[in-house]
Amino acid sequence: MIGEALKGHLDLLLLAILAEGPAHGYGMIETLRRRSRGAFDLPEGTIYPALHRLEGQSFLSSDWTEEKGRRRRIYRLTPKGRQALTKHQQEWQKFSQAVNATIEM
Amino acid sequence: MKKMSSYLRTLKRTLWLRGMADAEILSEIESHLLEAVEQGLHQGLDAEEAEQRAIERFGSVRMIVGSFEKERINTMNKVLLLVAILCGLFLAYVDSRPHWDDAGITAGGLLISAGLVTLLGHPRPWLIGLAVGLWIPLLYIFRNQEFSMLLVLLIPLVGAYAGWGVRLGIRKTLHLA
Repeated sequence: MIGEALKGHLDLLLLAILAEGPAHGYGMIETLRRRSRGAFDLPEGTIYPALHRLEGQSFLSSDWTEEKGRRRRIYRLTPKGRQALTKHQQEWQKFSQAVNATIEM
Repeated sequence: MKKMSSYLRTLKRTLWLRGMADAEILSEIESHLLEAVEQGLHQGLDAEEAEQRAIERFGSVRMIVGSFEKERINTMNKVLLLVAILCGLFLAYVDSRPHWDDAGITAGGLLISAGLVTLLGHPRPWLIGLAVGLWIPLLYIFRNQEFSMLLVLLIPLVGAYAGWGVRLGIRKTLHLA
């Protein structure tokens, strides 16, 4: 249930994580899992198509770096990505307020 | 790292078969899996368990390739729709030239271009039929109020559905083989 619901909001979550600083795919998965206290435990590989799409939309940029002999692709939020994040956040606020207002007894 | 190598080989082959093999994608996935294995080892798992868990957490090859394919299809569909619109505009331009008098070639162009676009993978034949075929009727309606030219739309619609049908047939055949 949470996994399915997460699919529609993955872009927002990835952009929000990268708003705090550059990160690689594995690091983002770890952050997602930690911040959601394990609730957002999606198959790790599914974030890469989303990251590549966001990069194709110029919301992210990426560079390869090498650390301790291991190559990593580090993603960064672009100014366009920051704008997209603000828009997604506003939409989410509206949506969650509407859902809360509807389900509150 | 036998399991991981086998997983990466299968992933590479499957991506290649779908026309999506990309050294950067594979390199990134390998780096992710190595990091996940290392994490497992830190948590006290033995090498085999750490590898197994890293692969399980990453997701099946089918799921990963499916996710990449879904993203690619969305982009490709937009490109194909644009191609259909450009073909339709080009044919309308050719047809509107004063000395052009070959309706057969125009009709063939509408039929073939709509068919090819759906054969290449656009999933909505009605949309491609409209994108290719709408411009000629619009031109005639705008210039001469000839609403009967809307019947021309049938040609690209037939082409688009034919291309779509052939593609479905090919996919079924390949799936059964």
